[in-house]
Amino acid sequence: MKTTQTLLAGLFAAGLCVGSAYAEARTWTDVQGRQVNANFVRIEGENIVLQTADGALHQFPLTRLSAEDQAIAKAAKPAETAPAMESAPSMLANATVAQAAAKVDQLVASGLIKANPERAKAGKPPISKYNPMANDEQFVRRVYLDIAGRIPNFDEASTFIKNSDPAKRAQLIDMLLDSEGYKTHLYNYFAEMLRVKTDFETDNVRGTPYIGWLKEQIAKNRPWNEMVYDMTTATGKMWDKKPDGTYNGAAGYLLRDAGMPLDNLANTLTVFLGTDVACAQCHDHPFADWTQMQFYEMASFFGATTTRLGAKDLGGTDPMSKLMAGIEPMIEKSGQDIRRLRNGIQNYIRANQVAVKDRDMNGTKLPHDYKYKDGKPGDPVAPKFVTWSAADKNNPAYKQSKKNEEKLRESFSSWMTHPQNPRFAMTIANRMWKRAFGAGVNEPVTNIDDPDQSSNPELLKHLANEMVRVKFDLKQFMRIVYNTRAYQSEATTEKIAMGEKYYFQGPMLRRMTAEQAWDSYMTLVLGQPDTYKAPLQDLYAKSIDLNLETVDPQTVLIKYDAYRKIQQKENALMGGGLEMAGGDMMMEDKPSRSTKKQEVAETTDGPGKVLSYEGLQLLRASEIAQPARPGHFLIDFGQSPRNLIDGSTSIGNVPQVLTIMNGKAQKMLTSPDSLIFRNMEKVRDPSEKVERMFLTIMNRKPTMNEKEIAKRTLGAGEDGYANMIWALINTREFMFVQ
Amino acid sequence: MKSDLLRLNDANRRDFMLRTAKSVLGVSLLPGISAKMAAAEGASVSGPGTPGFGKAKHVIYLWMAGGMTHIDTFDPKTGATKGFSDPIKAKADSIDYLGGYLPKLAENASKLTLIRSMSSKTGVHESGTYIMKTGYEPRGTIVHPAMGVWASHFLGRIKDVTLPDSVIVNSGSSYPGAGFFPPAMSPIPISNPETGLQNIQPTTTDNQFTKRISLMNEFDSSFRKKFQSEDVKAYSEFYDETLKLMKSEDLKAFDLSAESPDTREKYGRNNFGQGCLLARRLVESGVRFVEVQMGGWDMHNTIDNAMTNNGNTLDTAFSALLLDLEAKGLLESTMVVLGSEFGRTPDVNENDGRDHYPLSYTTVLAGAGAKRGYTYGASDKEGRRPADKQASPQDFLATVGHAMGLPVDEVVMSPSNRPFTVADKGTPLLEVFA
Repeated sequence: MKTTQTLLAGLFAAGLCVGSAYAEARTWTDVQGRQVNANFVRIEGENIVLQTADGALHQFPLTRLSAEDQAIAKAAKPAETAPAMESAPSMLANATVAQAAAKVDQLVASGLIKANPERAKAGKPPISKYNPMANDEQFVRRVYLDIAGRIPNFDEASTFIKNSDPAKRAQLIDMLLDSEGYKTHLYNYFAEMLRVKTDFETDNVRGTPYIGWLKEQIAKNRPWNEMVYDMTTATGKMWDKKPDGTYNGAAGYLLRDAGMPLDNLANTLTVFLGTDVACAQCHDHPFADWTQMQFYEMASFFGATTTRLGAKDLGGTDPMSKLMAGIEPMIEKSGQDIRRLRNGIQNYIRANQVAVKDRDMNGTKLPHDYKYKDGKPGDPVAPKFVTWSAADKNNPAYKQSKKNEEKLRESFSSWMTHPQNPRFAMTIANRMWKRAFGAGVNEPVTNIDDPDQSSNPELLKHLANEMVRVKFDLKQFMRIVYNTRAYQSEATTEKIAMGEKYYFQGPMLRRMTAEQAWDSYMTLVLGQPDTYKAPLQDLYAKSIDLNLETVDPQTVLIKYDAYRKIQQKENALMGGGLEMAGGDMMMEDKPSRSTKKQEVAETTDGPGKVLSYEGLQLLRASEIAQPARPGHFLIDFGQSPRNLIDGSTSIGNVPQVLTIMNGKAQKMLTSPDSLIFRNMEKVRDPSEKVERMFLTIMNRKPTMNEKEIAKRTLGAGEDGYANMIWALINTREFMFVQ
Repeated sequence: MKSDLLRLNDANRRDFMLRTAKSVLGVSLLPGISAKMAAAEGASVSGPGTPGFGKAKHVIYLWMAGGMTHIDTFDPKTGATKGFSDPIKAKADSIDYLGGYLPKLAENASKLTLIRSMSSKTGVHESGTYIMKTGYEPRGTIVHPAMGVWASHFLGRIKDVTLPDSVIVNSGSSYPGAGFFPPAMSPIPISNPETGLQNIQPTTTDNQFTKRISLMNEFDSSFRKKFQSEDVKAYSEFYDETLKLMKSEDLKAFDLSAESPDTREKYGRNNFGQGCLLARRLVESGVRFVEVQMGGWDMHNTIDNAMTNNGNTLDTAFSALLLDLEAKGLLESTMVVLGSEFGRTPDVNENDGRDHYPLSYTTVLAGAGAKRGYTYGASDKEGRRPADKQASPQDFLATVGHAMGLPVDEVVMSPSNRPFTVADKGTPLLEVFA
């Protein structure tokens, strides 16, 4: 009897209210009000048998269930077979999220079993089912980190844990997908993938309009195929204003690699089509023999495109010499030293030559060192699409005109983003899957050489089909993924070697990304970090823009002067102190305990206030320089320098540990002004304070043992709370996402 | 956990080093398999007793990020591809000229060995950087170790100090770092030489700090028990190592303010100059491998302007470093190496700049066993192709590995059971050694 009770308690505790999409499962409530999501199997004498989504059978006395559920159980028909591994119906165009998630689960489940021979080779025991269901505390922390890019704050975590609605997981997923955090977190992901930088290579050229554009598209939940099409077909300067008032930021994609069209193409193929062309340099591609010729044929689609406007693009006159001829006498007249100003003004003008334009001549030629028999160095190369298999010849994606030189990019982009392109949907689906699980179905995500070599080919193909079915709606796709039983499992504890295939019995244990770590700190400091936004979205674009065909020298000088003032303005805009964080202090009359002068600057656009602490701007990672400056918390934590695709690292290093132990961020959190302390002040009892501290930082309640440790610590001296806060943010448990 | 902490407080330095060495070397690697090519070739090209082997107890790798123009620096030309400045006659037996932007190095050319026949396959920054730091082409499935980490693997942790084996100056990232070796072997990045190791001081009293560490370990014990992954363990190792370093006397190596204003001036008051000075201090204190990065070499536009700035910075710092190392008697045991991901196009483009060019470029060696005032190989008349003794990035790094005394032909199996060698089977260029 005692065993049964323990087992039952475990069952209900582990499986609390799963809002997952398991077919025909329902939520069972016991006499204590605890709930579990499970399938009814049968009644055996006094006992009921339930099956949880991990496939496990649980037998316990029927009387443990609530009266209502006892009645339902007695009326229920025994299940004929265990449903876990049954085949699900094929996907309908209008399948519900629950149905779609169930289908994914089914494919994951069958993949788990098929994996066993492979696992055996690696010396691993066979698996037949998912990891146990993650509990609510684990789930709420993970899902906030995965969707909103940060840990939940105290209110968010405790509200969810207390909620007894059986559908609360699905509801939380929906809520988070519509939150500000979703936008900033997805932006961070793409910024890393696309190597987005605040400062482009050419002086004065900033990625600001490109960054703004990306964020806008994510906010609008623009379908992925449309976004990508815009990026590879945009024409003009990034800061050209469009009729609808938005900026032409999509041009930033090609301008990011201005002057390096071959690099840009290699990146395009890698990022959007999961095709790493570098491999053709050293070994044969198993299906499509990538040759240098093919690479140039693909490059030829961009062969008529320039990323720097010259005289022939600007009405035949070189803007630099024309404008400088007028500017130099004006400066000399004003008594200033032209030698000191010339370079700056030229750079300012030159920034406006950084633009995308299609010319009427395709200049693609084989390189001077071309050494294969199918061409000679300097030969012109005509555009041609690559294929991955013989079947691609009849693929509708390939029906594109290649006649018009000025429209070659459009042909390329239509082919690339076509729903039936053999790699486009699969690549983004595989990447989005990895965001949830920590591993792609195909690894690496940058090279889907052969889908059949992936860890679960059926799943990979299905996910690609799903991406097409939801019409490249990334939010809807992620909604399906987050609602799977596989995702809602506990993180995998077994060791996974580098390069070893992973089969998704649950998400992998992952260290927080640099951005997640920073944004979680910001949550601990600010409560709702999304209310603080970077100012100055617009000022840069307005002040840098020149129309080089029409502008006169005097206007250039006036605008240049305005441009130089931006920096000063930006510096002046940073200021409020820690005590401003969390909102409530500003409403209360209670004077701040801090003696620091409060300086909150008003800004021209954006919500208005940027807080800072000892020079640290208290903003989410997406709102500060891209990438952050050297020595910033984000850099120490492995933020991508934005040179390599997906270039971040999650390994530790000494400076990083020093930052967590001794840096400004921990000082901020252990200070009596911090939001953690202010949350704790709302209750009197030390044990309640400790519980609030745990819920705020770890998003879980303290264990019995931890309560004891806390009691002992508080008894030992005044700094007890600060010491415990410090200790908790320094745990591995804090840094890793379960 | 408690006993861990106590041990940490009174552990003597050697104990700690032994412990770290074990954790660093003992984890997940099969013993190296000797695969000497000697059997086939008849004689070993590298190894004890061969010229220059093991002479470099320290290496300072000056990394020119962005692709350093070879024609405007160490391989100047006078014909059709001549740059904007006139080459300067070098004061050395077998180095003819250096680029016009490097007058001080031309003066000190008798300390240099130039490898003018470098050639590589990739003109992409990322992969070029990767190859020139690891000897391997980048792969999606594995990260290869940087040279300093290979040295830690074969030679063990440096002795007698708590300082790290490898340091990277002027970078926020240590990528590719330890590669497939344990993460604890990663170089330590120093973003800014002026500020050195940031946050090295605790913000509380030692006593309170000790309490905090103890609490951390208690609160974290169940998590660490549940998730015994390499990643989690590696983090705990970093904590141990960091705590040790915080208490270390050796930290003063990072403090540039201990240098006279005069010395600091000589190196140039910029991040690269001060980075070189920091490298000298670190080497002096025992650090084995220091990389100092310098950016601004991706000169697609107006290369004359760009070279005037960058040339001067490099010229000043590199010369000061060589003179300083020599004055301190460290040049005998320290090899200064200069490299970049590729060269730049011999033809000047429409923006008066030069573009990426991997087919021909130059690297530089100085000190330890390297010949003084020597040119290895040559590019053709216009700097387009190697004309004599072509050398690959692998050969170049194998040469550095050889100088450090690493068994460059010994196969090491990665945890995923794939075979690797220092510098991917490159051949050390023994002619560069005296």
